[in-house]
Amino acid sequence: MDGDDRYLVARAVSAQDTAAFGELIRRHQSQIRNFLRKLTGDTSFADDLAQDCFLHAWNKLQTFTGRGSFVGWLLKIAYTTFLQSKRKSKRYSEVLDSAGHVAVIEGRSYTNPKDEVHDLGKMLAVLTEEERAIMVMSYACGLSHREIGEATGQPVGTIKSMIHRGKEKIRTNFDIEDHKHG
Amino acid sequence: MTSKIINMVDRTKDAEDRLLESIFAAEPIADDGFSNRIVRRIRRQIWIRRLALPTAMLVGGVIAIKPALHLVTAGSRLLSAVPQELLTTPAGWIPQLPVMLLGGALLVIGMLGTRMID
Repeated sequence: MDGDDRYLVARAVSAQDTAAFGELIRRHQSQIRNFLRKLTGDTSFADDLAQDCFLHAWNKLQTFTGRGSFVGWLLKIAYTTFLQSKRKSKRYSEVLDSAGHVAVIEGRSYTNPKDEVHDLGKMLAVLTEEERAIMVMSYACGLSHREIGEATGQPVGTIKSMIHRGKEKIRTNFDIEDHKHG
Repeated sequence: MTSKIINMVDRTKDAEDRLLESIFAAEPIADDGFSNRIVRRIRRQIWIRRLALPTAMLVGGVIAIKPALHLVTAGSRLLSAVPQELLTTPAGWIPQLPVMLLGGALLVIGMLGTRMID
């Protein structure tokens, strides 16, 4: 898959082949959109960001060196796009505020495992923005600590300790064992 | 004994990690024209970039044509006001003129060639 990605990237860069890039989007759009949806908690806003992310990716495709995975490189752009948009957009802060309020009010009421997306939203709201991104990259996208380090520009040691802290916060605020049995 | 404890800790960690993975897991999102929309936007962007320079040159030319004509007219009037002996400067005054012209022509050809190679 990775080799295929590299071949498609090479085609897209050398011949400005938009069809090859379209194939890359088709392959990775789900992961990028899921990542951004979890990060923002807002489906349409996340999809807008995903579009911007792929447009940025196209414009700087020649900077992809092929050292890491292509999806890791895309997630790095997605995260940067998210951070940039957050600085610009008031909408994000409104969404985050409302999610934060829900978490504060219903912090320890993780008792409805059927409503997974909603519960995950509450769970993510107790984390800082950086912890949230790192936890999502690790547990939802399956990136290695090294890949997360490359995507966020943090050393691997920092990533490990942030994941540890994130897990600690989740453990403190939610009874995740209930999820296993419920 | 110690290795047993370490192994148990690792196993607990793994179990928790798997649990978190299951909580974080999400259904794949259907493309539903998402990638096509982006590809269309990219193609439009490419076309806009390709057309930007010729369009800018055309618009600039249209805007500049009137003042340029005025400038040429004014220049020719100015030349008619200058005494004739000043205009008929002997070629010997600028001995490097053929070399300069050749150099200029070579520069233009070189630039065009580089552009074409690009």
